[in-house]
Amino acid sequence: MFKKILIANRGEIALRIVRACKELGVRTVAVHSEADARALHVRFADEAVCIGPAPASKSYLNIPAIISAAEITAADAIHPGYGFLSENAEFARICEKCGLRFIGPTPEGMRAWGDKVTARANAERYGLPLLAGTGVLRDIAHAIDEAKRIGFPVIIKASGGGGGRGMRVVRSEEDIESSFLSASREAESGFRNPDVFLEKFVERPKHIEFQVLADGQGKVWTLGERECSLQRRHQKIVEEAPSPVMTEELRREMGDVIRKAVRETGYRSLGTLEFIMDEHRDLYFLEMNTRVQVEHPVTEMATGLDLVALQIKVAAGDEVDLPDTRPWSFRGHAIECRINAEDPKSFAPWPGLITEYHPPGGTGVRIDSGVYGGWKVPSDYDSLLAKLIVHAPTRNEALIRMRRALGEFIIGGIRTNIPLHKKLMDDREMISGEMTTRTIERLLAEDSDADRPPSSVE
Amino acid sequence: MSWDPDKLRSLFDLLIEKDITEFEHEDEGARVRIVRGKVAVATFSHTEAAPSAATVDAEHRGQQARGGADHRGASRGADDDVEVTSPFVGTFYRSPTPDSPSFVEVGSLVRPGQALCIIEAMKLMNEIESDISGTITEVCVPNGKAVEFGQKLFRIKKA
Repeated sequence: MFKKILIANRGEIALRIVRACKELGVRTVAVHSEADARALHVRFADEAVCIGPAPASKSYLNIPAIISAAEITAADAIHPGYGFLSENAEFARICEKCGLRFIGPTPEGMRAWGDKVTARANAERYGLPLLAGTGVLRDIAHAIDEAKRIGFPVIIKASGGGGGRGMRVVRSEEDIESSFLSASREAESGFRNPDVFLEKFVERPKHIEFQVLADGQGKVWTLGERECSLQRRHQKIVEEAPSPVMTEELRREMGDVIRKAVRETGYRSLGTLEFIMDEHRDLYFLEMNTRVQVEHPVTEMATGLDLVALQIKVAAGDEVDLPDTRPWSFRGHAIECRINAEDPKSFAPWPGLITEYHPPGGTGVRIDSGVYGGWKVPSDYDSLLAKLIVHAPTRNEALIRMRRALGEFIIGGIRTNIPLHKKLMDDREMISGEMTTRTIERLLAEDSDADRPPSSVE
Repeated sequence: MSWDPDKLRSLFDLLIEKDITEFEHEDEGARVRIVRGKVAVATFSHTEAAPSAATVDAEHRGQQARGGADHRGASRGADDDVEVTSPFVGTFYRSPTPDSPSFVEVGSLVRPGQALCIIEAMKLMNEIESDISGTITEVCVPNGKAVEFGQKLFRIKKA
């Protein structure tokens, strides 16, 4: 086991890592920007080093400063958390070169699965289901042929970039020509590359992901799935484990295929394979995240495992004492709500001073948070304040518990999305378990319809 | 843990005999780091249990940072002295080599561009220069100590 771990992150995940280290008997070094000098993870770590001013590029993304901090504190490993440098293969390589163990995959493992193209190639090789798609489309005739082969609806996407640019959903053959041309034009102006390709379009997908742990020496465990369909603009807002629509059979089937793929590519550490599920309950591989995820607590609560501790043990080459390689079984149901510092209607970020802070508690309630009363939420980083996680024997009881916990959560001085979460826990799609990535959009549209004053009768 | 001169002497002998250039050892909050060669400086630090000295400085600095200037880490102290703060994480050295005299002492006159100290980060020696003319009124860090970003290094009374 390591003697000292440097935590190259901030906020709730940095505190999470400090906690795991304390229980493992490992000393901790918190690196922080000037804006985070009074952060919780800084105060609870054994040592702290200020590495730069507030901007992430000069602090949490500042590789020389982080390596220097590891040097002067004689840390022997670095935990990158999520975001920031956690999926930066170059940083992983530099750590190894400087004699510091990077707590995550090897740089090769990260590149193999982190890059979308090679990940898809791996998925194909090991029999993970993929969305039907094409290479670059030569012309309109080619587009039509491929669209008919794949089956409508399809989506035309730009090769050169994402973010919604150069994307057109096409529902029938007669719309291909105009969509192809306008998508190409947009791609050209956005990325200086007019190339587009086609993919099957799933109208109302569910987002399902599978948690894996690999020791890099041939043992891989699949630790069940999470559903993260409640999203806004591709940001997850609510997650749960297990998925209300997963069957034992599908979980077992996916577990077998995933374990083989992860084992045979020599991957080490925690990882999450993300899929979309269509209305027929078929799964399609999207990508793999080669790090610990924000929503890991729902898996922890519903399996009784400490994923961060396991990740550290695997990195240290310690024996991991998990029973066997069959898919993990769940006990009860866990839901997580991401509490953000933002206006609940406009979603504008809301930094500022937290004047009072009273988190919920009681049976089956867990809070992962880096904030406290008196903490000044800086404007330089993401808006996540806290993760509110509940666990209960059944999904329905978990919903009831979440409603109760949201009602107790007091955060004064700034605006938060707690009101949105209260609405979500009462939403019919959430209650039925049929929610998709379009649910929040629908709920917000209904909301603004309700807000609009009634039009006068003619 | 306090250091034992005899233990240290045999440690030095061993390093020289085996031509070891760098040695580090930590035990319950006391750390020894010895570097031979271009920068042959022995450093000792007793890191305290929480709150560590670095943490206390960080809290103080956090309050200063809100109003302070950022350029080359110089900012005004309460009594019109200028503070020179560290622009890097690294190890602070007062002289260019272990045998030479310090760049500056309390009372030294400095000019813009004049070297004040070296901060070593990842084997690179970075000279930190004064931005202003003035007199050194305080040397805030002992030789060979680890420093963090923004840590106070010197106070200079502006000329």
